[in-house]
Amino acid sequence: MVGLSLGEQNFIKGGIAQDLRTDGRKRLAYRPIFVETGVIPQASGSARVKLGATDVIASVKAELGKPNPSHPDKGKVSIYVDCSPTAEPTFEGRGGEELSTELSSALQRCLLGGKSGAGAGIDLSSLSIVEGKVCWDLYIDGLVVSSDGNVLDALGAAIKAALSNTVIPKVQVAANASSDEQPEVDVSDEEFLQFDTSAVPVIITLTKIGKHYIVDATTEEESQMSSAVSVSINRQGRICGLTKRGGAGLDPSIILDMISVAKHVSEQLINKLDSEIAAAEACEEETEMDS
Amino acid sequence: MAGKSSATPTTYSPSLSGQKKKRPSFLTDSDWVRPDGRGPHQCRPAFLRTGAVNSASGSAYAEFGNTKVIVSVFGPRESKKAMMYSDTGRLNCNVSYTTFATPIRGQAPETKDLSSMLHKALEGAIILKSFPKTTVDVFALVLESGGSDLPVITTCASLALADAGIMLYDMVASVSVSCIGKNLLIDPVSEEESYQDGSLMITCMPSRNEVTQMTVTGEWSTPKIHEAMQLCLDACSKLGKIMRSCLKEAASGPQD
Repeated sequence: MVGLSLGEQNFIKGGIAQDLRTDGRKRLAYRPIFVETGVIPQASGSARVKLGATDVIASVKAELGKPNPSHPDKGKVSIYVDCSPTAEPTFEGRGGEELSTELSSALQRCLLGGKSGAGAGIDLSSLSIVEGKVCWDLYIDGLVVSSDGNVLDALGAAIKAALSNTVIPKVQVAANASSDEQPEVDVSDEEFLQFDTSAVPVIITLTKIGKHYIVDATTEEESQMSSAVSVSINRQGRICGLTKRGGAGLDPSIILDMISVAKHVSEQLINKLDSEIAAAEACEEETEMDS
Repeated sequence: MAGKSSATPTTYSPSLSGQKKKRPSFLTDSDWVRPDGRGPHQCRPAFLRTGAVNSASGSAYAEFGNTKVIVSVFGPRESKKAMMYSDTGRLNCNVSYTTFATPIRGQAPETKDLSSMLHKALEGAIILKSFPKTTVDVFALVLESGGSDLPVITTCASLALADAGIMLYDMVASVSVSCIGKNLLIDPVSEEESYQDGSLMITCMPSRNEVTQMTVTGEWSTPKIHEAMQLCLDACSKLGKIMRSCLKEAASGPQD
């Protein structure tokens, strides 16, 4: 909870109405995005994303597992977010737990697509090794290190960056295994495969304050919101997921307008994020060469 | 499954996982039939009754095809001592499944998630200022899960809240649409939900024309979202009328 006086509240609302926010941004401008990849050596891939004072880490771990019997030709992906009370005292106990489940389910909805796997940002069939027997299980974990609003968008960006940083070892399957037995697999130490992350959507949260909506709201701005809509959009401009937060009702036409605004913003964000990720990868390679 | 049928099964288990392995051929055709013979834009018949539980302040029972839900509302009653003073009321929602609600025992979906979704869908419709310092508890129990569970729970919970005499801005009606291939199917059953490429759920207050909750999964183009939203909103306003008539009936009928 942010304690704001009536004057401060009016200042925030008045500024948004005039397209000039308290930190000098326009309504549809993001804070500077800072991406760093390969921050966790134990993980298959990891990334840290800073969005102003919001700081999140995402890590991807790949483990060998058994595919789900209802989808034998697909791997499994699970997303879990941890909101540690070190980021904010309100995350302690139930408050953090509730936010964690809310963020996790929003990310699952936005990134994993429908039940049949259509529209998923991650191609689940690329995780299959032997149909019905062995597949990769991807565990995506998000950690909120510091929270200053717009945590969902930051987590979405961090997961996208972490996935493009992810390398999965090449697997050799023993050819002589009979069809009933669990096949023997040989995990290579030298050869790795990379992920195609071009289909991973970005998440854009539009926060409605007064009559206008803003992107990348800070905690102070979020405290003044009536409702917020998070839309995940891929490079083709198709909607991959949507969730609404905040109790106040919205007119259906406003939601449609928000979607089209989000679509417009997504193009810039995807390009910006891609160049940041590429820069971070290049920077990481450089440090590896030096050491 | 046909190949395995020669071997005698040692234990019986529902062969649901077997059926799910491949999508039935009707999904790829444009001329297809829904498992229960409905049209694509036709909802299941809704059966709604208030006053299902005597001890609760308000309660409702809803039956949409095979989906059967019972919701009780308790309160407004004093908030727990540990809670801080609040000049608006609190809403507490809890969704649970019976162990026999699903075809395979105890395979209920994540209820924590459903509870928070229900909370978010309802909080915008309740006039929380009308009961400061107190809490309203909404307990939903899914007796049988037959698809579109959350929309049915939400609709039923709103009816139970009205039955309990909690002040509402409007009734809350909820409908979901499944997208399978090119087809949009309103009010999907479990079987359709398990094949779906995407789904869209809208919770709205029909007479105010306000959406309190909306979720989308899967890949959608903008025109398709328009179409699906319109379908849901139309169905919600029809459902709202049914809910109203159910309440009127309960109020005018003799107490027996």
